[in-house]
Amino acid sequence: MYARKAYELVKELAQCEKGHLQQFNEDLFNQVIDQCTQHFLELQALFRKKQEENVAMETRNEDHYGALVHHLALLRNKRCLMAYVYNRTETIRSLSWKVGFELFELPEEIQEKLSLPEKNYFGKHSAALQTYMADVGIDLNVDMVPPKDPYIKVRVLDDMGEGILLSNKTANLARHSMHFLKRTDAEQYIARGLMEELIG
Amino acid sequence: MDSGTGEGSTSFTDDYETFISTTDVDLLKRAWRNEKAAPEILQYEAALVHRIKEQIELAEQNVEASEADGEDPLTMSLYQMDLDRTQFLLRSYLRVRLQKIEKYIFHILKTDESLNRLSDEEQTFAASCGDDLRAHLKETVLSKLPTDYNSELKQSAASEEDDMVPAPRLDSFVICKARQYISGLDFEPEYSHEITEMERDLLTFVCYKFIKKPLENGKIDLV
Repeated sequence: MYARKAYELVKELAQCEKGHLQQFNEDLFNQVIDQCTQHFLELQALFRKKQEENVAMETRNEDHYGALVHHLALLRNKRCLMAYVYNRTETIRSLSWKVGFELFELPEEIQEKLSLPEKNYFGKHSAALQTYMADVGIDLNVDMVPPKDPYIKVRVLDDMGEGILLSNKTANLARHSMHFLKRTDAEQYIARGLMEELIG
Repeated sequence: MDSGTGEGSTSFTDDYETFISTTDVDLLKRAWRNEKAAPEILQYEAALVHRIKEQIELAEQNVEASEADGEDPLTMSLYQMDLDRTQFLLRSYLRVRLQKIEKYIFHILKTDESLNRLSDEEQTFAASCGDDLRAHLKETVLSKLPTDYNSELKQSAASEEDDMVPAPRLDSFVICKARQYISGLDFEPEYSHEITEMERDLLTFVCYKFIKKPLENGKIDLV
């Protein structure tokens, strides 16, 4: 069946939990691309055949419908490929909101899942966001949840080193230590998994 | 809709009390709610955002000044909380808009109506956002497809319209509340069969495109 491979590609995307990424399936992706080229060759071959037989392009003979099937299969493949890439970019964009703007801020597990063009795209998109924030003069990456209390209790999960500046005061954020911090200061570290909020 | 005066012209005559007690924060909250609930991007509230930014700056200065004066810590914390809430509203408002731009980038870039609703900064952002996404799609998919099939807007050269652009669904349903009695004249004439009037303060579950016009005129709030 035509376009089955493309269907598998999209299915892979659909099975993935929302907001999560799987490894970019280079292999299957390229197979679908090859199929597209193949369809196009057959399409052109049929058109040429019609020309050689001196049949008008509008004539609806068997070659016309053959070409149509190839055309539609190509469209379907294209839509699947685009859906695959486009939906991945949506997830990638959400990363720059949720995690951070720099590639090195992303956890290893996520970096591995991205293809090289996707990494480039992430970088460029983050740069665009940062330009916007600089233009407006407001940092939009803090305050992701409505503030209940300006201060929250957090526990440090990873060694963050000394001398990190929090509201103009340095703090010693050793692993497993607990702190009472301003929400806006702590949020960026929570997003990167370096701290957790203690509730209750 | 002109943001600064919209409030005055609609409720001044019938409800003077609400008019004088409506602060910019309330207005921002309303703009934020509408923006969050509407499927498409709404007009940027330029004047309002400008005023709010000034007020935030002023409040920050006040907090700092009273901190230096040794004001009661509890009072300080309350001021700070109020300030934080306003800042959250503003950030969230701008954030929701950016995320809508990201989502419908190709649609927004090709429709002037949507593009004109953006602020200057948002337009710059939209332009580079669109370029980046186009370049990425070209690199991964489109450059590998045969000619006639390599547009990011059309399925193939045979398509007459741009049929591959994700657009906001204006026929999705929203929950809204009228700020005043709305008669048939306030709605688009083409929907006069679907919707004829709306009572004030009555929660209504309705198709977004029917109430698009009164929403833009500030007669309806989304919830």
